Amino acid sequence: MAEHKQSFITKYIFSTDHKMIGRQFLWFGLFWLFWGGLQAMLIRWQLAFSGQAVPIVGKLLWPASDGIITPDIYNQIFTMHGTIMIFWAITPLLTGAFGNFCIPLQIGAPDMAFPKLNMLSFWTFFLSGVVLFISHFLPDGPASAGWTSYPPLSTPVGGIPGQGQTLWVLSLTLMGTAVLMGAINYVTTVIRYRAPGMGYFKMPLTVWGMWLSAMLNALFVPIIAAGLVFLLLENVFGTQFFVAGNKATIEGGDPLLYQHVFWIFGHPEVYILILPVWGIVSDLLSTFSRKPAFGYKVTATCMCIITGLSGIVWGHHMYTTGMSPLLGKAFMFLTLLISIPSSIFFLNWLGTMWRGALRFTVPMLFTMSVVFVFGLGGLTGLYLATVTSDIYLHDSMFVVGHFHYTLAASVLMASFAAIYYWFPKMFGRKLNSLLGKIHFWLTFVSLNVVFFNMMALGYAGQHRRLFDPYVFDFIKPLQPMNFKITMWAFLLGVAQVLLVINIIWTLLKGKKASKNPWEAGTLEWTLDYPIPHGNFKETPTVYTGPHEYSNPLLKDRDWISQSEPLEGAS
Amino acid sequence: MFDKHADSLFILMRTIYTMSKKGRVMKKMFNKIKHSMWGGIWFLKPPDDVSLDGYRIDHVIHYTDTVITIFFGIVVLALLYFIIRYRDRPNHKAVYDRGDKKKYIVITVILGFLVFLSIDAVIETMSFKDLKEAFWNFPKDEDVVRVEVMPQQYAWNIRYAGADGKFATDDDIVSPQNQMHIPVNTPVVVQMAPYDVIHSFYIPNFRIKQDATPGMITTFWFQAVKEGEYEIACAELCGNGHYRMRGILTVESKEKFQGWLNELALEAQDTGEWDDWLSDDSGSDVGIPQGWGWPWNKEM
Repeated sequence: MAEHKQSFITKYIFSTDHKMIGRQFLWFGLFWLFWGGLQAMLIRWQLAFSGQAVPIVGKLLWPASDGIITPDIYNQIFTMHGTIMIFWAITPLLTGAFGNFCIPLQIGAPDMAFPKLNMLSFWTFFLSGVVLFISHFLPDGPASAGWTSYPPLSTPVGGIPGQGQTLWVLSLTLMGTAVLMGAINYVTTVIRYRAPGMGYFKMPLTVWGMWLSAMLNALFVPIIAAGLVFLLLENVFGTQFFVAGNKATIEGGDPLLYQHVFWIFGHPEVYILILPVWGIVSDLLSTFSRKPAFGYKVTATCMCIITGLSGIVWGHHMYTTGMSPLLGKAFMFLTLLISIPSSIFFLNWLGTMWRGALRFTVPMLFTMSVVFVFGLGGLTGLYLATVTSDIYLHDSMFVVGHFHYTLAASVLMASFAAIYYWFPKMFGRKLNSLLGKIHFWLTFVSLNVVFFNMMALGYAGQHRRLFDPYVFDFIKPLQPMNFKITMWAFLLGVAQVLLVINIIWTLLKGKKASKNPWEAGTLEWTLDYPIPHGNFKETPTVYTGPHEYSNPLLKDRDWISQSEPLEGAS
Repeated sequence: MFDKHADSLFILMRTIYTMSKKGRVMKKMFNKIKHSMWGGIWFLKPPDDVSLDGYRIDHVIHYTDTVITIFFGIVVLALLYFIIRYRDRPNHKAVYDRGDKKKYIVITVILGFLVFLSIDAVIETMSFKDLKEAFWNFPKDEDVVRVEVMPQQYAWNIRYAGADGKFATDDDIVSPQNQMHIPVNTPVVVQMAPYDVIHSFYIPNFRIKQDATPGMITTFWFQAVKEGEYEIACAELCGNGHYRMRGILTVESKEKFQGWLNELALEAQDTGEWDDWLSDDSGSDVGIPQGWGWPWNKEM
């Protein structure tokens, strides 16, 4: 595609260029990460300094209570923290920003299969964000029934005043629509737009992860959409699909129906978020170990198996609901099966580093930390997959610590790795390495202290979502630990300022990056910054796999682009 | 080729390594692992277990602790070794190895299954056995205390069958809100249905948690082995007062328990009204709903 003139609006705002849409998603995701992060700080403030006014922002946000967090405000904060982090922060960051940016570039395509749909996807996503943002400023505040919003609490029967829940449902439905548009685009692009020679088993594992994740989105988002429409009807028109018992005025509702619908989507959602992480980590480990990804095909196959399994394990979120015990057993068995493919590709990660030549660049540090935190997050899932230990640990801080290890720690660290890694290709400049390393160590240490101790709290009995846990005598001795976590969480929050400074400083004054600063082999590094609309001047032909590092046939360097033929190879 | 800050990480690792040689870190780590074999890796302790079957849950947790400590320990040691041994430096080259030889695939798959067999299969067997023998094995003998529980925003309502042994009759005994008494060493079977939204009956000292879902009657059972007062908490978000939904479970001798029940029955005859308890400082926002209770369902 030739160079062509674009107006400011078509280039920067209503752009159909996947690279621009990726960058838009990046800023959008970072904004919400900041917003959700602030809410995390407020939650921690409440758990350490219950009853004291929040400094600086408190009086501004809640003049009515003089800046003090009240029970209803607390419930609103943790509800919005969960909702925002899962759907508006890490979804746009990984799937949105890097999915958009990487898929076409890495498979040698000129753009997404449906560029206009791609644009529509971002702007629908943006609109959903606006709706959610507005809901913060309703007179009765935003939704406060938890990020899972279980009915009947989330219906008028639950007794929560205001329209927060309605806007929550609306924004989530819009978000689901946007994600669905993106998913269709990704799946189609990978199937139809691969460059000549780019077989499925020549795709970088990042593309594998994004592709599988998009398939899960396409399959399971419609299910939650159905549930959300029902919930909307409950809140606006007074239907009672999910209300039963004394409070029901219409027969036949069932609260468990919503839980099933929610988790049929909700469990694959976890894998929607983590699959891109596995892909990115596999690729980056290989690049910075200067070695091919160990057992590439096995890793890809394991990711496919897990994708399949992820659709049939949702019941492990519901062991204590009174669901049929037989179902509990079946779900437990299926859930534990996941540990086989997980351990196999985890071993492959270690295999990639084994006998490599590890370069400890900033993206590599973040990538290796994912191996650490995901290992811990994955293993602690065993306690919760088992029916009996889950009876004790369900809905406790252990669960909170566990899913923060898998989602907050793994996904966030991988997002940071991706930001540091692809920044030179996205913006032409390389982020400062020293600042990046300080950012890494502060984040890595504080994040582990925070989330590991959360699990310990749960083991000691503290349950989740408590405005004032110290009402209970058995939680009173845990107050020092909660205080310690809060302090480390504040450090974790403050450490992120370094990333912000680094990004701003680099954009303004950073060193111009070379074409291939990491000496990587995937196709995006064959292009000069800025990459024109349409990407490749000539459609590349792919000859080699994505990670042919240190191939003995290479003479003067240890890497080769996928579009270069490897001389002497059979 | 060689990142200028690469050595910072290496220096840190080397420091840890030298320190471990002197035995300080090693000893600490060894103690930790030893401790984990019988105490769990978590430095905070759960509340004392005073139930007949709570130890089963603790066993599963401790077994998982031990095995994942070993596996994760291996992963961390491997990471540290790789970081030191295979760091990029002059005259060090990566070995080109795609890891797709049959040998490697077989080894990784075997190790994958090994992890499954050593952790998953074991805890699954333990869990199934415990469910069959204890948690889903409802007591068959006559000497059983039956209780109906109706949680509401934000309090626990507790009901006993009274003299006729039947629920939802005139002689039912409703205890003051948030107060549950049970005799020690006697199985207690609870049937639970909430008044409004989903709640979850949680006693950390008994390792029990059971949701109460509107429209369903859920049944569970437990048995106390030690007298005392223990806290009942709501574990499922149920609204703004979720955090203060606190009940007290009093475990006492059989005689004391019977005396407490008789006293309640007498008081009820005096006043003839159950809603006396409305005025107490129970934390309930709506008072006790009138005429709750249901005929006892057949146990599972």
